[in-house]
Amino acid sequence: MFDRIEDLKLVRRCKRGEEAAFAELLGRYRNAIYGLCFRMTRRTEDARDLAQEVFIKVFSLLDRFDETYAFSSWIFRIATNHCIDHLRRNRMRFLSLDGFTGPDGEPMDLPLPDDGPGPDRLLERSEAMERLEEVVADLPPHYKVIILLRHDQDLSYEDIAVVLDLPLGTVKARIHRARAMIQQMLQARSYEI
Amino acid sequence: MKTGMQRPAPPECRQACDRLQDYLDQTLPKRESLAVFLHMRECGGCRAQLEMLQALYAKLGDLPPLEAPADFDARILAAVPYEAYRAMAPLRSPRVPILLVHESLPAWLRSRSVRLVGLVAATAALAAAASGAAAGTAAWTVAGVGCLPELSVRLQNLTRRVYVATVHRSIPR
Ligand SMILES: [Zn+2]
Repeated sequence: MFDRIEDLKLVRRCKRGEEAAFAELLGRYRNAIYGLCFRMTRRTEDARDLAQEVFIKVFSLLDRFDETYAFSSWIFRIATNHCIDHLRRNRMRFLSLDGFTGPDGEPMDLPLPDDGPGPDRLLERSEAMERLEEVVADLPPHYKVIILLRHDQDLSYEDIAVVLDLPLGTVKARIHRARAMIQQMLQARSYEI
Repeated sequence: MKTGMQRPAPPECRQACDRLQDYLDQTLPKRESLAVFLHMRECGGCRAQLEMLQALYAKLGDLPPLEAPADFDARILAAVPYEAYRAMAPLRSPRVPILLVHESLPAWLRSRSVRLVGLVAATAALAAAASGAAAGTAAWTVAGVGCLPELSVRLQNLTRRVYVATVHRSIPR
């Protein structure tokens, strides 16, 4: 799906400081990374911030990119880690609302709770699609990300193993488990797709 | 279509159901894939499971594409350290032994006109020897000396390329 050779040429031009090459690389991955961040968080604002941070991180660490890997694997690795960290931090915020205390025993700051999924910018969505998106969104983060990488981003099992730094067998088992969870959740909510 | 996953009891059904995802992912060995295929033809219960899973695959692969907001790029491109990359670029070019650097050959030897004159002289000497107008030994000496500049430049280029591709691995980690 992503052209590895073209990516590498662009990466090398970026390493020489060519501004146009950064813009082109950004153009290639903008929607994929934003889409992943949006479906991981279901919040427009968060998705934009997360995706922008991913690119800023990628471009400032480009010098350390190991060219034996595909650039696509590298950027997806940074993006998935960033999203999962974000979801984890958010979970901590919700916990703190229930009287969670910091390591020193002091009550932690109580930020305002999230106001639910923001409006999304999809042109046309059938109800069934909306329900499926809802179910995918409710998967635990590690299952959600693997479903999105496989079905939404179209990565192969092998590529996903590289992105998530997991053995191929674990990737397969986790995807199978995630699909079974989706089926169970659809059934439990009496959703038909 | 109903979504559900009541496992049918017979062992061949259980086995087929366990393999449905691998079957759809096309990661099953041919024989096992064929076995699932044949079981699907004769078992309605398992076929229903397969169709449900197939529909799920199709829908998951059909989530609408999302587009980043219009002003997405500006913040990112403003944060790229272009200058730092430019400053570091020369450090990244592969390091090779001094003998393989262009400048290790004298400038006159590398000059295009010297190389061309050398080749012309060599050709003329060989032609003269072939037509019997010049003594063999003298012609061969002129030809050898004449080719020298071109040959040394080409040999150096070739060796450097081989060195970079093999020993140096040119790509910094
Ligand atoms: Zn059966």
